[in-house]
Amino acid sequence: MNKLKEILAETFEIEVSAIGNDFSQDNCETWDSIGHLNLIVAIEEEFNISIEPEEIIKMTSLKTIMNYLNEKLAV
Amino acid sequence: MKNFVFRNYTVEYLFDKNYVFSDYNSSLLFDENCDAYLWFYFLPIKSNSLLLIEELKDLKNRLNILCEKLEPSKPLYLFTIEDFYSLQYVNSDFNLIKAVEDYNAFLREKSFNRENTYLFDVSTFFRKFSNSDLIDWKFYYTSQFVINPKLAKEFKNWLSKQYDSINYKRKKCIILDLDNTLWGGILGEDGAEGIKIGNTYPGNIFSDFQNLLLEASKAGIILAVCSKNNEKDVLDLWKTHPDLILREEHFSAYKINWNNKAENIIELAKELNIGLESMVFVDDNPVERNLVKEIIKDVTVPDFPDKIYQLPEFFKSIYNKYFQIYKINSEDMAKLNQYKSNAERAKLKTSLNIKEYLKSLETVLSIKPADKFTIPRISQMTQKTNQFNLTTQRYSESDIVKFLEQGNFIYTLSVKDKFGDNGITGLIILKEQDKTLIIDTLLLSCRILGRNIEYDFVKFVLNIFIEKGCKNFKSSYLPTLKNKQVEDFYDKLGFTFEYREKENKFYNLESKKLFEINKDVKIEYYE
Repeated sequence: MNKLKEILAETFEIEVSAIGNDFSQDNCETWDSIGHLNLIVAIEEEFNISIEPEEIIKMTSLKTIMNYLNEKLAV
Repeated sequence: MKNFVFRNYTVEYLFDKNYVFSDYNSSLLFDENCDAYLWFYFLPIKSNSLLLIEELKDLKNRLNILCEKLEPSKPLYLFTIEDFYSLQYVNSDFNLIKAVEDYNAFLREKSFNRENTYLFDVSTFFRKFSNSDLIDWKFYYTSQFVINPKLAKEFKNWLSKQYDSINYKRKKCIILDLDNTLWGGILGEDGAEGIKIGNTYPGNIFSDFQNLLLEASKAGIILAVCSKNNEKDVLDLWKTHPDLILREEHFSAYKINWNNKAENIIELAKELNIGLESMVFVDDNPVERNLVKEIIKDVTVPDFPDKIYQLPEFFKSIYNKYFQIYKINSEDMAKLNQYKSNAERAKLKTSLNIKEYLKSLETVLSIKPADKFTIPRISQMTQKTNQFNLTTQRYSESDIVKFLEQGNFIYTLSVKDKFGDNGITGLIILKEQDKTLIIDTLLLSCRILGRNIEYDFVKFVLNIFIEKGCKNFKSSYLPTLKNKQVEDFYDKLGFTFEYREKENKFYNLESKKLFEINKDVKIEYYE
């Protein structure tokens, strides 16, 4: 969770403290389509995983990314 | 500073914030207020190569139009095209390959004909990776990325090197060690006939390395030498050795002596009137490299390859990293040098602290009386050591055994530091005669010189005998062609010069007082 927040903060150039639980593409100005890809690449590298395109389009909020990672990393 | 990128794929992630991007179609609309323009296209994947050939033609036309529209003073950077998919349906069908070549040749022409136009060969980036690393097909199809986004940082580094090469932002000088760097072997030990250079392994590696350096000097890189050797030996070698490629005239400056290399490099920078940060120091010896690295932080010190047959690969990587240049223009170079030299001169601050450095090496000297395990090494060292050798007596193993049986004293010196254990690298043989102790042999391997170890070793051994009540010592220096560097060793140690017989110098010492030993060095003594 903390690691993910760090990645989000770094990718979108904001403070970690500004990332609440409802953080998502809708309430983050710098989370545009290129930003989204940068985020996916950063997550793939950090957790050493490959995320399928069908998942990538769904991962538009802290919550959905967390759910995805919990599932993916638990296996 | 704002740059404009013409493109046909998603490339935003390959550039930083100072860039803006064209749309994906071929409209040729662009922001005229940008400072520089990049022409950065990829060859799409299309099974119909005729269509691709048409696209390449279209790109050429558009580039022509752009060149007419663009203000001539604005820089234009052209990137070559690589067929990154390159599926050859019919091996003898070269039409697409030829079209790509033509396109790249067209860019090359443009870079010659238009002012402020530069060609960047993307194959120098592509070549570093296998195709499967270079492209992540998932991102290719979801987001139109050709280059794997995980390589974005590498790409940015590559691009900044390309810009540097245009702006003459490169290092100026390679400082080279000699023994085991420019040739195989040690000149002082192996002699001019014994060093490895020429047509056969391993000399052929060093020949190639020298040729590569020669080409670098033609591309404007200053070559300099910093070596622990007798200067005269090297000057003779440069004049007489038939297989050398680099000789005295190829080096703008050299320091060949037994001084500390960090001091020598600072001297070289003063002599050449260039900044320390524009120098790259190449030496096979990790201790020398670390000394220079720690004392003069501005000098670049790349790791030397473990295997000498990696030298050409090593050279290529340091050349690409530090010495790339787009074009050599003598006028520009001269101007640049003039303009820079003043600033650089001011920078030549001597942050020299050799004593601190030597302390940080954590050198440990182990001094041991000879035993049956060390006799072969002792004999070998008397046979092989030429330079730091006061009397150059050659002894067989049975000679050494006999000395010990007669009650003489032999001590070996092993040196280790934080970089590793050098093993036995020094020895002293003392013979007792009429209550006087005579130093029959004293020698050290050159690779541990430059840290004053030689003095601590001898002082420590003499102290052993002074403590036992011995007062009188005698020693001698017998000159050979190779041991000039130690001609005044005993003078420096505090012995009294007694007389000269032919060229040989004889000394004595009467002492009740123990020698003072450098406290920064740890000495282990095994009785």
